[in-house]
Amino acid sequence: MSNHTHHHRHGFKKHSHDTGGSSIDYLAVTSGIRHWSPEFKVGFSLLLLVFCLFANHPIISVIIMLTAAFITLGLGKIPLGNYYSLLTIPFAFIIMGSLAVAVDFAKGPVGDWNLFLYWGYAYVTKKSLMNMGCLILKIFAAVSSMFIMTLSTPSFELFAVMKKAHCPQLIVELMHMIYRFIFILMSVQRNMRISAESRLGFCDFKTSCYSFGQIAGNLFIVSLKKANAYFDAMEARCYDGTFAFLEDESEKQPKLIVFAVIYFVVLIAIWWLVH
Amino acid sequence: MKRNEKRLFAILMTIACLFAIAPTANAMHIMEGYLPPVFCVAWGVICLPFLFFGFKKLSKSVEENRKSITMIAMSGAFIFVISSLKIPSVTGSCSHMTGTGLGAILFGPAAVSVLGLIVLIFQAILLAHGGLSSIGANTFSMAIAGPLVSWLIYKALKNTKVNKKVTIFLAAAIGDLFTYCVTSFQLALAYPSAQSGVAASAVKFLGIFATTQLPLAIIEGILTVIVMIALESYAGSELKAIKYAE
Amino acid sequence: MTQPILQVKDLYYAYNDEKTALNGIDLAIYPGEKIAVVGSNGAGKSTFFLNVNGVLSPEHGEIRFKDIPITKKTLPQLRKNIGIVFQDADNQIIASSVRAEVSFGPMNLKLPREEVVERVNMAMDYMNLNGFADRPPHYLSGGEKKRVAIADIIAMKSEVIIFDEPTAALDPLNANMLEQVLDQLTQEGKTLLVSTHDVNFTYRWADRVLVFCQGKIIADGTPREIFTNDEVVKKANLMRPTMLDVYEQLVAHHLLPKDDKYPKDVEEFAKYLKNHFDE
Repeated sequence: MSNHTHHHRHGFKKHSHDTGGSSIDYLAVTSGIRHWSPEFKVGFSLLLLVFCLFANHPIISVIIMLTAAFITLGLGKIPLGNYYSLLTIPFAFIIMGSLAVAVDFAKGPVGDWNLFLYWGYAYVTKKSLMNMGCLILKIFAAVSSMFIMTLSTPSFELFAVMKKAHCPQLIVELMHMIYRFIFILMSVQRNMRISAESRLGFCDFKTSCYSFGQIAGNLFIVSLKKANAYFDAMEARCYDGTFAFLEDESEKQPKLIVFAVIYFVVLIAIWWLVH
Repeated sequence: MKRNEKRLFAILMTIACLFAIAPTANAMHIMEGYLPPVFCVAWGVICLPFLFFGFKKLSKSVEENRKSITMIAMSGAFIFVISSLKIPSVTGSCSHMTGTGLGAILFGPAAVSVLGLIVLIFQAILLAHGGLSSIGANTFSMAIAGPLVSWLIYKALKNTKVNKKVTIFLAAAIGDLFTYCVTSFQLALAYPSAQSGVAASAVKFLGIFATTQLPLAIIEGILTVIVMIALESYAGSELKAIKYAE
Repeated sequence: MTQPILQVKDLYYAYNDEKTALNGIDLAIYPGEKIAVVGSNGAGKSTFFLNVNGVLSPEHGEIRFKDIPITKKTLPQLRKNIGIVFQDADNQIIASSVRAEVSFGPMNLKLPREEVVERVNMAMDYMNLNGFADRPPHYLSGGEKKRVAIADIIAMKSEVIIFDEPTAALDPLNANMLEQVLDQLTQEGKTLLVSTHDVNFTYRWADRVLVFCQGKIIADGTPREIFTNDEVVKKANLMRPTMLDVYEQLVAHHLLPKDDKYPKDVEEFAKYLKNHFDE
């Protein structure tokens, strides 16, 4: 066991062909605040999210956005480029969703800006634009407060927290397995897609549809076969119907909790002032 | 601003938005932070009876046959992967299947409600699509309402003279459209129009999301047909194993 | 002779009414043996392993572990003591972190927490996985996954360990690592069964070879007995190990004396040549 030691002791190498495209999951493992207790991170993010929704105030949203960015980027050392591209994921929804909030229709030109459509007017008011702006800020604040959790806590730690929070055993077990199986099926699918592409399976729309169907069908069969194989492997290791793993007993981090409490007190105070 | 300028402003904005929309995926997931708290909770509560029923059903099948747990988990992973696949498109824009119709036809609406919830949680935490605060609303539209409609249509038409491909197409496409209508309604309830209330707002959301959702429903219908045909032609025994045949 | 650790009598098994996959297996395995299981694809090796572990229940026949017949009641005992490292680690690794994965077996054995921790640490040390504890398995390379799969079984402290085609899909470095692990396990007194298509590996490593063919064991003996038996080699679609061919050619051409040395690997061969020509 000695002569190969040096070979495997390299740092965290990303095996991108196996990651299934989830950069969040990958980044979480490398986060600088991995060692914070998962219960704390989950609790803090969720509280921040709830507060952000209830406060519904642009200043609060901006503060949350900035502090969340500080925690994830400053303490968690997540690269700025990754963080930025993750923040743009909701872009399409934000545009569509907030546009619908800002623009309204009426018979007459009642807004501050109006667009004549021959059956009536589409209009925008200053207030509706304000609402739209607040909404966009709120979405970014909410998304970035969830990123505190998802970009620092690998999924298996989240499942452990769910279990401690008395989520039904069956659900937690399913989540464990589904998480694992997602990555397995992803890599199977990727290989099938590449092999189809190499045989011109995506040369035009019709062929693409056909290839897509074949891949999805095949994937389904592979997934059922794997389900059987997995069950055998679990049985071979004495699986008896209860899914149990060793979980770390998380250490108490009173310092963090004190910081969090101070932060929320300040946040509430600011909200009370600006409200 | 002069009136012409105003008009120009509005037109440019609309065009900009349409262009921004075209190349994006999974736009029907209600984002984190979009819904006011009361709606987050309310939609979650509405989901509960469905989820409870689905949970009971899954628990029962695991009790009856322990082996079904890996099967159920694989089904969940399958739905996730299917919903993350880029679908072929004519225009070169990129969008994803929802997989709800296929899931409902293969696994039944009860199982899909719970699996759909889990898939939505994973989409939120792994892909940042949707969100945890909007999980109730998204579960209702994508894991409950849509699959239920797909499944009902599939059941209703299966034993009639309607061509099997047409049945599957209609089940998947209408299920998709229904999901899109429910989501628009959810959005409209949360953000009713100042002048004319929820109904007008719903029309507004329907109109905006139609740009992506109408073509998607048709493609999803076609793909579901192709997948089902592929499955039936060489996975008969596997389909029986998950009780699809009955 | 010592008591067999595992005894299989008249074992039959068929997958859903199809043709029988195992067609009367009789076998006794003794503690500490290094057994290679060879035979073409579909000859029944994997089915045999799953039967021996109790994952599949035979249609007919008896399996005894240390003279205890295996019934529903004693099945956990059997599983605890016979571990399988599956061929494809992606069909075995179930947990979302390496540490949790290795703990799966010991947790199922309902051991106290301290013992689970101790065993997990021991197994991860053993397979040199210390830096990987919190890593999700899908961010591991093929060789790393294999090591996790082996650590899974080591943590269970099984007395008999079955490796189902362990070298498939491993690069030479990892294959070499695997052989070292096998040697180490042998030194610790474990009984090993390794299924493989690698005849050279079989020839140098095993002290007993089982040849499967169409659900039966058609030959059972030392590597030399098996590979010098042309009938068996042909029937089971085996190939002769290179070392054996080279040695026999040299003997046939009178370059080496006919002294039945049969070196197992290049190292032994080199030593033999050195001794022979230095004299």
